[in-house]
Amino acid sequence: MALREQDLVLSSLPPSRTQQQLALSVALLIVLMALLISITGMQQVKLAVIDALVPLFGMAMFVSDSITAVLLFTQFSIVRSRALLVISSGFVWTALVVIPWLLSFPGVFAPHGLLGGSSSEITVWLYTLWHAGFPIFVIAFALLKDAQPAKRLRQLPAATAILSCIVGSAAVIAGATYVLVVFQAHLPSFMIDAMNFSVLWYYTAAIIALLSALAISLLWIRRKSLLDLWLMVVMLVFLTEVLISSFPVSARFSLGWYAGRTCSLLSGSLILIVLLYEITIVYARLIGAVRAQSRERGARLITGDAVAATIAHEIKQPLSTIITRAETGLRWLDRASPEIDKAKEQFAEIVANGRRAGAVMDGIRGNFKKDPRIRTWLDVNVLIEETLTLVHGDLQQHRILVRTEPHAGLPQIMGDRIQLQQVLLNLITNAIEAMAGKQGLRVLGVRSEVGKEGNVVVSVADTGKGIQSQEIDQIFNPLFTTKPDGMGMGLSICRSIVESHDGSLLVFPNSPEGAVFQMVLHASTTTALASV
Amino acid sequence: MARHLEIAVIDDDESFRVALVESLSSLGYGSSGYASAEDYVRLIGSNAVNCVVSDIHMPGMSGLDLMKHLAAQGTTTPVVLITARSDANLEAKAAVAGAVCLLRKPFEINELIGCIEGAVKD
Repeated sequence: MALREQDLVLSSLPPSRTQQQLALSVALLIVLMALLISITGMQQVKLAVIDALVPLFGMAMFVSDSITAVLLFTQFSIVRSRALLVISSGFVWTALVVIPWLLSFPGVFAPHGLLGGSSSEITVWLYTLWHAGFPIFVIAFALLKDAQPAKRLRQLPAATAILSCIVGSAAVIAGATYVLVVFQAHLPSFMIDAMNFSVLWYYTAAIIALLSALAISLLWIRRKSLLDLWLMVVMLVFLTEVLISSFPVSARFSLGWYAGRTCSLLSGSLILIVLLYEITIVYARLIGAVRAQSRERGARLITGDAVAATIAHEIKQPLSTIITRAETGLRWLDRASPEIDKAKEQFAEIVANGRRAGAVMDGIRGNFKKDPRIRTWLDVNVLIEETLTLVHGDLQQHRILVRTEPHAGLPQIMGDRIQLQQVLLNLITNAIEAMAGKQGLRVLGVRSEVGKEGNVVVSVADTGKGIQSQEIDQIFNPLFTTKPDGMGMGLSICRSIVESHDGSLLVFPNSPEGAVFQMVLHASTTTALASV
Repeated sequence: MARHLEIAVIDDDESFRVALVESLSSLGYGSSGYASAEDYVRLIGSNAVNCVVSDIHMPGMSGLDLMKHLAAQGTTTPVVLITARSDANLEAKAAVAGAVCLLRKPFEINELIGCIEGAVKD
């Protein structure tokens, strides 16, 4: 299964048809409920004053918006888009502004609130900051989201960017709260009494509604991703909240006011639910991809074994004939009166079968030289990276430290991608096995460099038990192996593959311990070929 | 050569089959070759042989299939199985099927003779 990067980044994930339908249903349901409450006149019905509900609601908002902010910041640290930073800050804003809002709410911590003195004006001002602020963040998100990530932002550590956003939001909210507390006597009045609102509030509510509507239309015009879709729903709920709690009449603890708070909770948790759901799905997809990769690797290794078994079988057939014929020939000659002619027949057959064995060999060699069309231009550094991904599990299991030193200006080479990957996989697997049974430091070094005559040189170095000097000469022999269950075909096949690419495979000791296998591939000649 | 035995050689690899038939003949045995187990079953009829030497892996009926077929017919002709494969579990399969020996190619003719003479005691 090919997993593309955009399938894993939530902010760029396109919504599926089901998700679109679900979002539409949620939006319709909320708007219908709001309309029902409004039209029937129930909006103004006064309900019981439940003081405990306000702090509960406030805490729920704080927690859910904080978690949403954390999840979105995590997404930002992956893709570094300015838009994501802005929308995460929006959730930080709504989470933090709840704190002074709760402190100031009359009857929660003190009869007139902790901040507001005798009036509860500050509560409404903070509510305005909260509800006018968030749509502005969403508008900024919608405007920024198609922009290319700024270079400056890419170089800035993610933690620094995130921390400055949190500190910035906190500072603005703290500053605003301070100003409100100090100048509360001079502020225009939102409230007529403890329960009912003045005309100024209705204008403010209208402005908040307009900001939300603007945010929705901007998101609609530039809609692309799942996040856009659900932010639209959130803004619609936001809009509904302001309308239902303010029009036709705005009063605390009316049905409209309670409905507004419910909407608020919903808008706060919607994105959170969607994010959590999508993260789980992406996680499942990742697990699937990792499994597929290890299966693919297993399949490739089995193929190697199967090829070796087939070769062995093909060679044994003429070999058996040769031995049987030779024995028969000897027997004809071994008689008291040797049967020369019959022995000659046997020897002629031995020659024919010797030739047949040779032809089998040529056939195998031919397999390695097959169709030059499957050779493609490839970047060795990418190949190294992909191969290391394949053995990631083994490396972790054996606690092996990987040091890669890719050469940045490596020329591309022309080669059979699968075969060269098999060579790399084989060399790396050997290195892992050499280090697995050994105490002390385990470091796998994989580096690429430009060698003499512009060759591409790939070295796989381990800190394993190394290769005895008397073994170095035979290590590429087909039947040589130091592994109890190995058949010794690995390195000899590797050398055949590299040589069929006009390259060479070398081995020398690593210092202070271990071995280095070096694959030299000719880049210059193939580059010249390509320019023809 | 103490006695005359008729031996059937079944192998889809022609060069080896012919070599083995000639080798057995040079040793004084009566020997005939068959390119497949199906050929053997069809042609042998009532001319029972003393021993069958059969390859395991052949297109169509395998050496093991042939043994099942012979057992179903009530034939008690001893069978020596031969193979060019390296699969580790073949000995067990051959033993379960009731083969006298399993020889892995390449083998020496004396090993085969030992198996045949051991199987056809009387």
